[in-house]
Amino acid sequence: MAEKRRSAARRIARPRLGSGSLTAGLILLGGMLVFSIVATLASPSPTAQDLNHALAGPGPVGHLLGTDALGRDVLAWVAGGIRTSFEVALLVVALSAAFGTAVGVAAGYLGGWLDAVLMRLADIQLSIPPLPLFIAASAILANNMLTLVILISIVGWVPYARLCRAQTLVLRERGYVAAARLAGRRRATIAVTHLLPGLTTEIAVLGSLQAGIALLWEAGLSFLGLGLQPPYISLGFLMSQGKEVLAQAWWVATFPGVALALLVVGFNLTGDGIRDLFATGTSGGIR
Amino acid sequence: MAPPPDGVLDPDAPTATVAASRWPGVARYAAARVGQGILVLFGALTASFILIHLTGNPATVLAGGQLPEAQVQALSHQLGYDRPLGVQYVSYLANAVHGNFGTSFRYGTSALSAVLSALPNTLTLIAVSIVAAVVISVVVATASVLRQGGWSDRMWRPLLSALQGIPDFWIALVLVLVLSVKLHWLPSLGYTTFSSLIMPCVALTLPMLASFSRLLRASMLDFTDSDVALALRARGLTRREIVLHHAMRNAMVVFVSYVALQAGWLVGGTVIVETIFAWPGIGTMLIGAVQARDLAIVQATVVLVAVAFTLLNLAADLAVIWLDPRIGRERVSGR
Repeated sequence: MAEKRRSAARRIARPRLGSGSLTAGLILLGGMLVFSIVATLASPSPTAQDLNHALAGPGPVGHLLGTDALGRDVLAWVAGGIRTSFEVALLVVALSAAFGTAVGVAAGYLGGWLDAVLMRLADIQLSIPPLPLFIAASAILANNMLTLVILISIVGWVPYARLCRAQTLVLRERGYVAAARLAGRRRATIAVTHLLPGLTTEIAVLGSLQAGIALLWEAGLSFLGLGLQPPYISLGFLMSQGKEVLAQAWWVATFPGVALALLVVGFNLTGDGIRDLFATGTSGGIR
Repeated sequence: MAPPPDGVLDPDAPTATVAASRWPGVARYAAARVGQGILVLFGALTASFILIHLTGNPATVLAGGQLPEAQVQALSHQLGYDRPLGVQYVSYLANAVHGNFGTSFRYGTSALSAVLSALPNTLTLIAVSIVAAVVISVVVATASVLRQGGWSDRMWRPLLSALQGIPDFWIALVLVLVLSVKLHWLPSLGYTTFSSLIMPCVALTLPMLASFSRLLRASMLDFTDSDVALALRARGLTRREIVLHHAMRNAMVVFVSYVALQAGWLVGGTVIVETIFAWPGIGTMLIGAVQARDLAIVQATVVLVAVAFTLLNLAADLAVIWLDPRIGRERVSGR
């Protein structure tokens, strides 16, 4: 049974060079998720302060990864921070993929002046460096998860729009799309039932790569004191606390950084893996 | 390189007719790029205008909830924030074109000159990091393509994937921890000696190194996978010649645009690393301005970064004309 399932999976997946990265990426991300849940259940509240044990070093007794300057448990904070990172990443990807795909499919399928306007807008969006805009925006707007997710998504929708437009231009010439139009389907129906399914792989690849970038933005802004502050549990915020006590307590800044890096690598491997899985071979080559 | 049997087949052979017919196309392409750059700057100016008016009256942001209502009104009137939005927008654009973003109340000078005085320090940081990343990644990617599957290829690929995931500010913190706190080898704050450059530049270079060499490797392999490479091989070129002369040249077109894009992003992207090392650049200035609600500095920085970004990309687009002889001969879509 297991044997049969594996061979079927192999037939579909056609493992190519580097398809192990999907497995590695998913295992890494799953591991981080399990770690986050288990550590959250097993640790004290991440915001609980214990000044008697401030800056306690990491060790098997008491605090496994040590405590920060206010005696907060680093392990609990890292576990909560991983959860926050996942939340930010998923929300940003959902929001920017939805918006970007809608814009891209509309521009590609409807064409004309709408296409021209939307794509110039995308060019301009891509050409404005994001970090100064984030920083300026956070000087003006309230700092919370929603603001942050919207800001990061505003920067992130363009690649989806470009990709979906390019793909839609190819797909709309296909016979089945013409057939659907002949059958009298509405354009919106055709876009959803005939164009979108052809875009899912590319969107999945972009999404997992963007997830890694999105959580780095969140951590970076929180590190600067412009993103998420307590009561939100952010890895970037913990690193900014760790920066202040770097000389006495290396563990406060180090562990959240390791967690961040593992998350980003996990998302990148997953994206690369999906791409490898569906990559089409070329005819020539001297490899 | 063996002489090609027929000049027409050589992709690099310059013929008089082709060279003559290329320039009108090139001029059209360059004009389109310049036009796009102007459009982008206009977009950046508009975005920064919308941004500071998002809360309604920028004077309330300036006051930071510390002033009584009457004084906020007076401030609003003094700075012209009580005029109709359309009027403000037009005068903002007119002032920005003249480089006038108002006076910074923290520095007491014009905001633009304050930001310009910090700009060279940031540019030094960027130039050193970009050059280091480009040089190392060209070497690493070429070696990895030449010996695909060899030990250096297998060693570098996972290392580079990991590097790409590591946030630059974490690298910066680890460097400070090891080289300054533990070993006392390098100064950790400010820009005092040449050695102050080392740590911030390493922190900025490493993540870029990862993406640069991955991109370069992938586009070189795209070329060696193509029918063109197969045809060159059939004409008797060695794999090494194809990689060094043809794959590299082809990969450069994408690479140059990407490096320029990264350099442009870095003009505004050094903020975090600058803050960690108390680097006297525009990033540190921007953070200070945000904390002090010095809106003039914030706006001047955003616009200046957009200008630098646009100029860098324009330079890359023009360099691509020289690198890619197809531009101007046929319709080249997008970038």
